[in-house]
Amino acid sequence: MIVYISRRLLSAVVTVLLASVIVFAAVQLLPGDVATQVLGQDATPDAVAALREQMGLNRPAVLRFLDWITGAVRGDFGVSLVSGEPVSATLWLHLRNTMLIAVATIAVAVTSSIVLGVVAGLYRDRWPDTVVSTLTLIGMSVPEFVVATLLVLALSITVPVLPAVVLDEASAPVADLLPAVVLPTIALSVVMTAYIVRMTRTSVIDVMESEFVTTARLKGLGTGRVVVRHALPSALLPTLNVIAMNVAWLVGGVAVVENVFNYPGVGRMLLEAVHNRDLPVLQAIAVVSAAVYVLCNLAADLGAMALNPRLRTGERSAR
Amino acid sequence: MPRTPGAEGAPPRIPRRTALLGGAGVLGAAVLLPGCAASGPQAAPALPEAAATGATADGGVLRMARPPASQAETLDPASSLSAYEYLGALYSRLVRMDAEGQTVPDLATGWESDDAGLVWTFRLRDGVRFHDGRGFTSADAAYTLRRIVDPDLASPQGTVLGPLVDPGRVHTPEPGVLVVELTTPNFEFPALLTNYHCYVVPDGDGDTIGATGIGTGPFRLDSFSPGGRGRIVAHDDHWEGRPALDAIEMFSMTDIQARTNALLAGQVDLISQTNLDFATARVVEASERATIARSVNAQWYVLPMLTTAEPFTDARVRRAMKLAYDPQHVIDVALQGTGVPGNDNPVPPDTPYWTDYALERDPDRARALLAEAGHEGLSLELYTSAYDPVFTPMALAYRDSAAEAGIDITVRNTSADSYYTQIWMQKPLMATYWYTGRPADQLLNQVFRSGSSYNETAWSDGAFDDLLDAARATADEDRRRTLYQDAQRMVVDEGGAMTPMFADRLVGLSRDVLNYHESGFEFDYLNIGLRP
Repeated sequence: MIVYISRRLLSAVVTVLLASVIVFAAVQLLPGDVATQVLGQDATPDAVAALREQMGLNRPAVLRFLDWITGAVRGDFGVSLVSGEPVSATLWLHLRNTMLIAVATIAVAVTSSIVLGVVAGLYRDRWPDTVVSTLTLIGMSVPEFVVATLLVLALSITVPVLPAVVLDEASAPVADLLPAVVLPTIALSVVMTAYIVRMTRTSVIDVMESEFVTTARLKGLGTGRVVVRHALPSALLPTLNVIAMNVAWLVGGVAVVENVFNYPGVGRMLLEAVHNRDLPVLQAIAVVSAAVYVLCNLAADLGAMALNPRLRTGERSAR
Repeated sequence: MPRTPGAEGAPPRIPRRTALLGGAGVLGAAVLLPGCAASGPQAAPALPEAAATGATADGGVLRMARPPASQAETLDPASSLSAYEYLGALYSRLVRMDAEGQTVPDLATGWESDDAGLVWTFRLRDGVRFHDGRGFTSADAAYTLRRIVDPDLASPQGTVLGPLVDPGRVHTPEPGVLVVELTTPNFEFPALLTNYHCYVVPDGDGDTIGATGIGTGPFRLDSFSPGGRGRIVAHDDHWEGRPALDAIEMFSMTDIQARTNALLAGQVDLISQTNLDFATARVVEASERATIARSVNAQWYVLPMLTTAEPFTDARVRRAMKLAYDPQHVIDVALQGTGVPGNDNPVPPDTPYWTDYALERDPDRARALLAEAGHEGLSLELYTSAYDPVFTPMALAYRDSAAEAGIDITVRNTSADSYYTQIWMQKPLMATYWYTGRPADQLLNQVFRSGSSYNETAWSDGAFDDLLDAARATADEDRRRTLYQDAQRMVVDEGGAMTPMFADRLVGLSRDVLNYHESGFEFDYLNIGLRP
């Protein structure tokens, strides 16, 4: 078990390292650099030269990467080329804000999707299943920015109960951000729920047809007990990986939704950094996103072990 | 006092502009509008032209959504990264430009030059104070001017003023008098100081001005975070009087949709520096909370032909490209009538030095010119992007119009993100725009003079450069106008820029906002207010 975890952790470190190299190389391939991007139409040769000098861009790319990586190992992500602020401080603030949305979305999406998935699975091909399946198919097909726009139209413009965009800075207190979290959470939950419901429904159907469920029924157990104690743990196994993938997608992929709501999270920070070719910021976000991704998958695998007796005792039965 | 030319020398005006300036309200302007839109498709209702006017509430806070330049932005007016919306509110210039393109007093009350146009004397306003209480004197004006031409600062206006102003020859004989000895004669010098990089900063404050924003404008700085939010509050001792508003709050929003949603939901009152696309503009106009006002002729659109690239090295091809298309068709398609023809001349109609000279559209002549140049059945790529909503419709309208002269154009859509680094001044034919608000002399020198860093067509013609030099050195008003008009004719006849149109900027604002007025780079911060 410990060997397994440490092997996974080691491969995680390698993955994160590779991600940072790839992001660095990819940004070098993008046309333009931070000086030309920031100046735009005012990028006269003199102005570009002055800004490059000021930002220390005249050193070779490899040297700049080595500088960055030696700092990053010590936990120092450097300063943003554009704002001159330390990347770590800004990133943690934005990450905190994104986590607000992420945690709320996970809570809403996982709970509702498991309930809906189980209902759909138990009432297979009857009307509750038809309703849930139709809604999830719609949820999957409509992109999150369309959902977001419809929500703004309904809840900010027609019936103005929630803010359409966030006017606060990244450093605003959590309490101020809370009203702004609601709409992004709903928008993301709709998309995320759709995927998990499909998965849960399928595995509930599979499990309910398996022999041990039949045995449990024959023992005389009630449906509620059969579902909660026997069917659900098994049915959740394959679902767990889907949830893990979705959580990782959340942290990396909220960019569009955050921009629509002007929400000061990692997604908006990422988009601005890409636009400005702000390498230190991009690198830091890449490392953090990769780490979250890897950790989510690791957690899912460990969770699967905890739920599955065969995997949990895998080392012994392998003899 | 030799100020800019009076009304007697001004060219005739189109009815629309007269209506607007004559103080006619929204309805009056809208009724007279069809002058330029009559031949266009009449499917959609006209968007309102001017913002509502009237007596405003006493005080109030205006909330403004703005596109963030970047987190590198600064309040230093001379910098190429200046936070544009703050400048006009925090600072004043020596001179400003009125809606008709005339140079009028701001901190300078009057100015005159010697007979050669070399030595300029500015008399400065008395009793003006900076926000921190310091009195404004000629030392501040001299410091500001020397800073702009400092090569280390790389100010965009430094490229214009640098060749004229020697920092050692800016004198302050009295606290109320500034004397500038130019290195070459220039009778247009005051007009060049209307630029928005020329706002006056306090003597010696260069290192801190980017964060303090201390000026003599109607508002003083309360807070500012680069690329983020900020707040400016009314300056009670402003020399023109206190502004109508108590404060303006600025919010940076990268996404245009976010800016529009914020307006529709009533979270902000005005979207600055954003030209809404027509679909969005109609949604805003139809809403109860918000409406549209236009900044008239706010930008000119260009299809620059790179004169150093084949086939545009041949003047006959450039002329054929201009003769081939119908500007009215491009306006109808790309602007839905919210603009006026440019006639391939970027000097805005009705400004003091404008000429109405235009080429008559003639696709057959274009075809003949192409045949003569050995380019029969010319096939070209025209680059565009989503950087501005008008680019692609303009490119497509040009393509359809030019097809009648046998020119085969393929429109290529590219990334908006790197459009100005990879496409502009790189590809032989592309779509772009400029904000109006530059005086004719600056415009012609900056965009068309040989070797200028903003010369997007890389056009180089010694005769044209000589014309500009001659105009600058000509004392006589009428003679000077003739020379600038000759220069414009050269741009139309031989230059590389196709300028199909001047477009109004469609500005989204709350129905509660009164007295919004913006022309060129001038925004009226003093009178804008909220409905009582």
